[in-house]
Amino acid sequence: MKNRLEELRKARGLRQEELADALEVSRQTIGSLENGRYNPSILLAFKLSRYFGLPIEEIFLYEEEPS
Amino acid sequence: MKRKKTLYLALVMLGLCLAAAALTLRDTILSVSMAGALMGSMTGIGLKQLLTLRLDSKDPAQARRKAIKDNDERNVAIRRRAKALSGDVLQWAVIAVAWASLGFDAPLWVPMAAVGIFVLKSVLEFCLTVRYQRQM
Repeated sequence: MKNRLEELRKARGLRQEELADALEVSRQTIGSLENGRYNPSILLAFKLSRYFGLPIEEIFLYEEEPS
Repeated sequence: MKRKKTLYLALVMLGLCLAAAALTLRDTILSVSMAGALMGSMTGIGLKQLLTLRLDSKDPAQARRKAIKDNDERNVAIRRRAKALSGDVLQWAVIAVAWASLGFDAPLWVPMAAVGIFVLKSVLEFCLTVRYQRQM
């Protein structure tokens, strides 16, 4: 799943470590989320949504796979 | 924190008691090597955990980072996946050992034990699947 995490983080002038610390996850998790290698749990998605003050669907971009 | 400390202290004491028992009951009930292995692992684990608790209390920031790393959802998912896959690999390796032991004319208890472990793991996996299906 694509997301705008890197863009949002950089827009706020945050380092991955700082975002990770605020959300109580590891820096590697933030890196993996930004690269799209890892999809977060619904809890972490809500934490991110509250942290950035944006709805989840504005952070994570869900695209249905063509059937 | 205090409960953990007591538990680890008990582990160290148990390990030391086993060492004493091994020396006293030498060549009777306990084999020295078996008691030694038990003592070593128990005392080692207990001492390591006590040391970790002490270091954590001295540096709370480091302890928090460690707790975050341990409870991080991605790390937990990775650990669970690795455990599940290694369990599967081990299960099939046990069956491979059973087949190989038949070819090498090993005593019957070897393939039987291997098959027993395979069946036990499968039953445990089934029971846990049912339990988690009820929970989720």
